Amino acid sequence: MAFQLFRVVVRDLAKPKIGCARVSSSFSTLQPNASDEADVPSLPPFNYEPRPYNGPRADEIFEKRKKFLGPSLFHFYQKPINIVEGKMQYLFDEDGRRYLDAFAGIVTVSCGHCHPVVLKAITEQSQLLQHATTIYLHHAIADFAEALASKMPGNLKVVYVVNSGTEANELAMLMARLYSGSLGMIALRNAYHGGSSNTIGLTALNTWKYPIPQGEIHHVVNPDPYRGIFGADAKCYAKDVQDHIDYGTSGKIAGYISETIQGVGGTIELAPGYLKMVYDIVRKAGGVCIADEVQTGFGRTGSHYWGFETQGVIPDIVTMAKGIGNGLPLGAVVTTPEIASVLAQKILFNTYGGNPVCSAGGLAVLKVIDEEKRQSHSADVGSHLLARLRDLQQQHDIIGDIRGRGLMVGVELVTDRTEKTPAKAETAVLFEKLRELGILVGKGGLHGNVFRIKPPMCFNKDDADFLVDALDYSMSKL
Amino acid sequence: MQGFIGRRLISGTRQLSNLRPSSQRCCFSQVAQREEANNGVHIPKLPPFDYSPPPYTGPSTEEILAQRKEYLSPSMFYFYNKPLNIVDGKMQYLFDENGRRYLDGFGGIATVSCGHCHPDVVEAIVNQTKKIQHSTILYLNHAIGDFAQALASKLPANLKVVFFTNSGTEANELAMLIARLYTGCHDIISLRNAYHGNASGTMGATAQASWKFNVIQSGVHHAMNPDPYRGVFGSDGEKYAKDVQDLIDFGTSGHVAGFISEAIQGVGGIVELAPGFLPAVYNSVKKAGGLFIADEVQSGFARTGSNFWGFEGHGVVPDIVTMAKGIGNGTPLGAVVTTPEVAEVLTRRNYFNTFGGNPVCTAAGLAVLKVIEKEGLQENAFVVGSYLKERLNALKDKYELIGDVRGKGLMLGVELVTDRQLKTPAKAETIHVMDKMKDLGVLIGKGGSYGNVFRITPPLCFTKEDADFLVDAMDYTMSKV
Repeated sequence: MAFQLFRVVVRDLAKPKIGCARVSSSFSTLQPNASDEADVPSLPPFNYEPRPYNGPRADEIFEKRKKFLGPSLFHFYQKPINIVEGKMQYLFDEDGRRYLDAFAGIVTVSCGHCHPVVLKAITEQSQLLQHATTIYLHHAIADFAEALASKMPGNLKVVYVVNSGTEANELAMLMARLYSGSLGMIALRNAYHGGSSNTIGLTALNTWKYPIPQGEIHHVVNPDPYRGIFGADAKCYAKDVQDHIDYGTSGKIAGYISETIQGVGGTIELAPGYLKMVYDIVRKAGGVCIADEVQTGFGRTGSHYWGFETQGVIPDIVTMAKGIGNGLPLGAVVTTPEIASVLAQKILFNTYGGNPVCSAGGLAVLKVIDEEKRQSHSADVGSHLLARLRDLQQQHDIIGDIRGRGLMVGVELVTDRTEKTPAKAETAVLFEKLRELGILVGKGGLHGNVFRIKPPMCFNKDDADFLVDALDYSMSKL
Repeated sequence: MQGFIGRRLISGTRQLSNLRPSSQRCCFSQVAQREEANNGVHIPKLPPFDYSPPPYTGPSTEEILAQRKEYLSPSMFYFYNKPLNIVDGKMQYLFDENGRRYLDGFGGIATVSCGHCHPDVVEAIVNQTKKIQHSTILYLNHAIGDFAQALASKLPANLKVVFFTNSGTEANELAMLIARLYTGCHDIISLRNAYHGNASGTMGATAQASWKFNVIQSGVHHAMNPDPYRGVFGSDGEKYAKDVQDLIDFGTSGHVAGFISEAIQGVGGIVELAPGFLPAVYNSVKKAGGLFIADEVQSGFARTGSNFWGFEGHGVVPDIVTMAKGIGNGTPLGAVVTTPEVAEVLTRRNYFNTFGGNPVCTAAGLAVLKVIEKEGLQENAFVVGSYLKERLNALKDKYELIGDVRGKGLMLGVELVTDRQLKTPAKAETIHVMDKMKDLGVLIGKGGSYGNVFRITPPLCFTKEDADFLVDAMDYTMSKV
C-alpha cells in the first residue's frame, strides 16, 4: 500500500495535473481489501474532504423512492449509491468515499461538479434575480445567446433557450416542419432524442418507445461501423436515406436529425463521410439538417467544439443541452435567421427558458471551457485514454470495439469477436466491479453491453490510467 | 410630502405583521412629485420597502434590445412600449436598471410564489449547489425523495407518485402520454381558451389560435369553454358539460384517454370554470374510461387562497395533477403526480428525464413548500386576495371600462370592455392602462384571447398595502382615460 501511494505521488510530481492539488492523499484513496491485493489500482489523490453527511442513508432513500417516485424510476447498481457531494471529476457517497465520475451525470457535468466559476455565477445571480421571464429585458439571456452564437459557424446565430434536450429537439422538429411545409422526418435507428411525444418518435430504440402515435418518421439504417450491415461504407448507408425519401415520402421531407456520436445507443460514431452525403440528399429533398449536439457539444470531442464539425458539415439547426449548463436545467436551439422567422407566425413562449440564473450559469460554462482549454484537454486526455484502451483490447478478448473521440468514449464487450455477441452479463458484472474499485461509468447500447466513458472535462491522464488499470484488473478476474 | 410619507409609515406600522421586511426606511422611489389630478385622485405611492438593490453596471436597455433582436427568437415579444430592463428582485418587488422599484403584480407569470430571492429558497439553492448540482436519478440523493414525499402529502387520495420534469410543458406532455398509455386510447378533451404548453402533444391541448402553429396536433377535441362571462350558457356548468359528453359520443369511439383543464385558465384570461362543470365532466370522462388531468401549473401552491390546489375548489379528485411555475419560485421545475396504479404504465418501457429531479431544483421545491407553510402564504393569498378583489369590484362600479372582475385568492383578472352589453374587448385601453400603471410603478400581466384582461398573479407575500397601491394606481390611470 505504501508503495502504491508512493508510485502515485511520484507520478503526480512528474506530470502536472490540471485542477487537482498534489498534497497528501485523502483517506478515500485507501482501498478496502488492499492488504491481500497488491496490484489493486487506486484513485489518483485529490485534495478535498467532503462535508460530513448526516442525512438519510441509502436504504431509507431507496424506500422513499419506491413509494413516492414510481416504479418506472430505475437506477444503477444492485446496491444503489447515495451520492451526496461532488467536486470536479469526483463524487462522494454517504460515507465520504470518493469515486471517479466517468459518466458526468450522463455527459452533463462538463466543467466539473461544483466548478467554482460556475458556482459563483449561479450563487450571485440567485441572490439578484432568479426569474422574471423574457417579457421584461435582462442582460443574462442576451449575453449568453451572443456568446453561444459566437461559437457557431455559418449563419447559425438565432438562439432559443429552453430547459432540456427534449424541449430543444421538439422545437427543432417544429421549425423543420414549419419551414419546409413537409411532415416527414428522418432519424437513425439506435438514436435517442428525447422522451416527449414527438421526440419519442425520433428516438429509435425499442426500450425507449411507448406505443403511441408518432407521426411521420422514417428510421434509416444506422451507419454503425462496428455492427452496421455496410461496415464503414458511408455511401451504402446514405443510399438508404435516399431510398426512404424516394419510396416512403412524397419526395420532400421536413428534415433529418442525428447525433454525431450516438450516446444512449452506445457511443456509435457515424461511418466517415456519411453525414456530408446525407446532408446533400436531405437538402435536395427540401429538408433541413438538424445536429443533435446534446452529448457531443462543447468541446467534448476534443478535435472540434461541436461534434458536427468533425464531419465537415454545417447544419441548419443545432440542439444542445446536458453539458451546456454543467447540470443546470438548460437547453438551446440555434438556427439561421431565415429558419427562425417561421416561428414568428405565432407566439412561442417558454416560461423558464432563458431565466437569469441558468443563462448566467451557461455563460460561465462557455467561459470555463475556453479559459481552461477544455477542448484541447479533452483531445489530449481522450487520445491517451483511447490509446490505453486499444492496448487493453489486445489483452482481453471480451473487448469487441473501442470507439469515440475526445472524452466521449465507448467500450463494447462481446463474448465472441466474430459473432459480436453482446456480453450483457459480463458488462453488468464489470460495471459493478468498477464501482467497487471506485469508478462510476455509464452503460448503453440496445443490448446494454457498451461502457460509456464521458467524464467531466477536467478528467486527466491519471484518472484515465486509473480507469484503464481498474478495467484491466476487473477483466482479469472475470 | 413629509406628511404623506408619514401617513404611509403609520398605516405601515399597523400592518407591520403583514409586511416583509420592516418598513422603517423608505427607498428613494417614494420621493416623487405629488400632483393633483382632475377628479381628486392623487398619484398613489408604493408601500415602503427596506431594501436597496446594488447599483447596476450591466448593459443598457438599448444594448440588450439590440442583442435580443440579433441573437434571440424573432417571435420573442416583450411588454410595454418601452421595455423594462429588470435587474433585481426582492419579495414582491422588482428593480430596473436605474434602481427604480416596481410592485410585481404578475409574479413572472404566476411563478414567483414565495417572493423574489426569498432568503429560505435562495439558501436552499445555494447550499445544495455547493454540494452537488447534478448526478441524475441513476444514483440516489435524498433531496428528490424528500421533496416528492412532501409534495405527495399535500395531495388527496392516492395521488402520491411523483415524476419530476423541467417545465409545465414537459409535465403536461408526460400526463398526456400516461393517460394515452393507461387507457389505450388516443383522444383527449381540453377546453377552448386553454393553455397547456408548446410541445407537440401540449400544443394540441392548448386551444387559442395565437399559440397554435400549423403542424399536426392529433387526437385532441376542444370542448366549449365554461366561461361564466363570455360563454353562451353563462354560469350553467352542467350545460357546458353536455358539450363534453357530445364530443365523446360523436367525436370519439366512446372511450377516451382523458380530459385536461386548468382550474382557472391563466393565459386565457383568468377564466373560472362555471360552477358544477367539473364534477359533471368528471362523470362523463370516467364513464368513457378516461383519466382526469388537473393542470395546476398556475392555480396550484396556495395561489387560490381557499385551497392549496385549484381543483379542490371544484370538489373533484383528479387522476393526474401537473404542476410547474410556483412549485420552485422560479427555478426550472415541473412535476406530475398520479396514483401508483396509473404510474405503472411507464414501466412498460424506459422513461427518463436527465435534469428532472436534480438535487438543486428539488431542494428549492422543498424550501418553497416550507415557506408556504411557515409564512401562512395560503391564508395570506386568501385574505389579501379577497381584499384586492373587493377593491377591484368597487373600481368596477366606478368605471364602465371594467367589464368583469374574477378569480380567487391571488389569481385575479380584470376584463376591460368598451361596451358592457356587447362586451367588446377594450384592447387598446388595456395596453394603455397597463403601460401607465408601469409608469406609476405597478407591473401586471395581460391575457385572454383578445388581450383585454389584466392578470394579477403576484408573489404570495403580496400585502394589503400592495393591493391598495395597485388598485389606486389603476384608479388613477383609468380616471385619465
